[in-house]
Amino acid sequence: METKYLNVWKNELDICIRCGYCFEKCPVFGVLNWESDTPRGKAILAYGLLSGEIEPSQELADKFFQCTFCRECLGSCSADVKLIDLFSAARADMITAGFAHDAHKYMVESVKKTGNIFNDSELKAPVSEGETTVYLGCQYLGRGNLTKTYLNILEKLGIKPRVKEEICCGFPFMALGFRDEFEEHRKKFLEMFPEEDIIALCPTCAAFLEEEYGKKVRHVMEVIAERVPEAKLGGKVTYHDPCDFSRELGLIDEPREILEKIGVEVVEMPRNKKDSSCCGGGGGILMSDAELSGRIADGRIREAVATGAEMLVTPCPTCEKVLKEASMALNKEGENNIPVRNICQLIWKAIK
Amino acid sequence: MKQEIIDKLKAIVGEENIRTDPADRYIYGSDSSVHVANADVVLRPRTTEQVQAIARLANAEKIPIIPRGAGSGMSGHAVPIDGGIVLDMKRMNKILEIRPEDTLVKVQPGVVDDDLNRALKPYGFMFPPAPASSRIATIGGEIANNASGIRSVKYGATRDSVLGMKVVLANGDLVNLGANTRVEASGYQLDRLMVGSEGTLGIIVEATLKLVPIPKYRCIGIAKFDKLEEAGEAICDVISSGAQPSMLELMDNIAITAVNNTLDMGLPDVEAILLFEADGMVKEAVDFEMERIKAICEKHNGFGIEMSYDAKERARIYAGRKKLFASLSRYKEGYACTSLADDMAVPYSKMAETARKIHDVADKNNIIMTAYGHCGSGVMHTKILMDPTKKEQWEDARRAVEEIYDYVRSIGGTTSAEHGIALSKAPSWKKEKADQLDLMRAVKKAFDPNNILNPHKLMDAPDDWVTATKLRYPVEK
Repeated sequence: METKYLNVWKNELDICIRCGYCFEKCPVFGVLNWESDTPRGKAILAYGLLSGEIEPSQELADKFFQCTFCRECLGSCSADVKLIDLFSAARADMITAGFAHDAHKYMVESVKKTGNIFNDSELKAPVSEGETTVYLGCQYLGRGNLTKTYLNILEKLGIKPRVKEEICCGFPFMALGFRDEFEEHRKKFLEMFPEEDIIALCPTCAAFLEEEYGKKVRHVMEVIAERVPEAKLGGKVTYHDPCDFSRELGLIDEPREILEKIGVEVVEMPRNKKDSSCCGGGGGILMSDAELSGRIADGRIREAVATGAEMLVTPCPTCEKVLKEASMALNKEGENNIPVRNICQLIWKAIK
Repeated sequence: MKQEIIDKLKAIVGEENIRTDPADRYIYGSDSSVHVANADVVLRPRTTEQVQAIARLANAEKIPIIPRGAGSGMSGHAVPIDGGIVLDMKRMNKILEIRPEDTLVKVQPGVVDDDLNRALKPYGFMFPPAPASSRIATIGGEIANNASGIRSVKYGATRDSVLGMKVVLANGDLVNLGANTRVEASGYQLDRLMVGSEGTLGIIVEATLKLVPIPKYRCIGIAKFDKLEEAGEAICDVISSGAQPSMLELMDNIAITAVNNTLDMGLPDVEAILLFEADGMVKEAVDFEMERIKAICEKHNGFGIEMSYDAKERARIYAGRKKLFASLSRYKEGYACTSLADDMAVPYSKMAETARKIHDVADKNNIIMTAYGHCGSGVMHTKILMDPTKKEQWEDARRAVEEIYDYVRSIGGTTSAEHGIALSKAPSWKKEKADQLDLMRAVKKAFDPNNILNPHKLMDAPDDWVTATKLRYPVEK
């Protein structure tokens, strides 16, 4: 098997001491409980592919696809091995070897064809002239009401958002392993978005624009936190930290400060901030293994219910969607559940 | 493995708890050691009855069983050198009974050390061994390996915290070993024999553990030393003075640099530091111990001594110390950290000399070795840092390991303090225990006449650790 992308990881795989600390909080291992589903297990498989000791197969590829890219293992790894980049490289080589996941392939083809992950060429950004470029990202593009709410909030806070026609940031190409096809998309994206300073609505897009394109990105929560006026909305919520948001962008205090300022009490889940547990929606797992994604989300939503809060809020549209479904599933089973909302809905209600 | 046997195993644990595909067999053939070997089948039992049924079948068919906890062992304990059944015990992870009035807890073997301590905290108790891997290490693995960690200087190793256990023998019989009491008089105490037997005598399916109260006060201190030997002498003096630290750790400059590089710990760039802690229920008593230790460090030219009761600072230092092993892999570009000759115990009076000897052996053999560890318990950790892709580096490592252990034996030390023997350390350990090997083999035979339980480990391990199994690294031909 050709290991074009894994080859650069040879040394890192020797640096890994296989201590296993990375699986302590891995959400996939937490549900499946096989060592082959741990970050260490995946790293050992990557070594096996590189050394030729393991033959590639669809089953093997699926193990690499069973990762939410939650970045939890990065914090646990004291040898500082960039595990999710390694898994992304393994995915890329597995795809080259002919083991792409159909659902992932469909998503990437959708982006190539329509510019967004929903394969919907009718989906258009609410273009507006303004002073500050706002990048919505596919998930918000597909959820016009939430996007409108964020744009309203920005305007209310004195910022004139400039919304352009847009295409996907390209995260699916890199994360899902379609690296060979990313270069063309990258060029297209940069032609459409030459701006250096961007406000992003989606945490994953924000992290990717920063990492991959070197843009100066501010997440909309940072902007809101600086300007939101005091209000007395009331209520008690629990806040879910999206993985990219807390662990990659380091945005932990901002949403909590906003909620406090608008008069909402925050009751924390046992796992919060950088230690937040994953919603189960990232890394393409929602498409490739919806059942696993749902089981991870179930664990998180139960944490939220146990807080006794009136509502769970989060700024990530994917987390929101996945946790909402998990909450509805609890309801169907006759168990206590909790309403799930995008944080913008509370903010707008408080300041409109 | 014959399909007929796989089908029988499937019937015992259920289809969802058996794996025979190449990927799983490959992953479960590895742990945190330098060794790898493929398993034939991986099973996840849930009940004692399932473990018994598996043992009966394996014994009749003479198939090896390798019980496995988190696979965090550093000497190859969980590596299936002869293939066979890897028994992943992590699903047997229930805390069965917490009895604060009797200061004991009953657990299944797959309970993770940190999870147990989190569950015990509301009762005001702890299970003290605290190996660095406590975040994933299972109680079954800790017992099988007689693990210990930073608190062993005051609270001892796992053996000191085990009261009893239920064990499935090779023939599938279930035996109750030990007692629920703090003391037990004469008679063969087979529970104690089981601790540290590395899965070669039986499969632990339940353990009764002794608890100690969580101390109300903990104070941590750091002392800097310009000379490694002086730090070593201070350790000896602290212990022989009668002081009672709850932690007394040495880190040489290599260890300090590694932790600072990867974790941005900001530890002082000196030849050595001692991390020390005292704990207790009375603050004045803790202060007294800390002042005693501080004075001894100063006597040996320790300087810049800082002490703190701050829980956050303590957690920060603990975290750095617990991640040291992995951090060493980042010490030098092109070098990897291998667990070889990694945890001898030496008499306190030889601590300083041992630390220096480690560096001398490394220099002589073209490798890098670090000296650190729970020196308050006599534990001297090392790691061999080398380019694992180079064949000649394995020859260098082989020589270094031999020289280090020859020295350790010459000063009355022992091969392994807490990481265990298994494969990597078996050659040196067999030299150390030469007069006992036949007796040990007789014990093994009494427990496991068909030699199915983790075979070819300890006294039966190959005499050359380098060729005992395939190495996990891509060594040049």
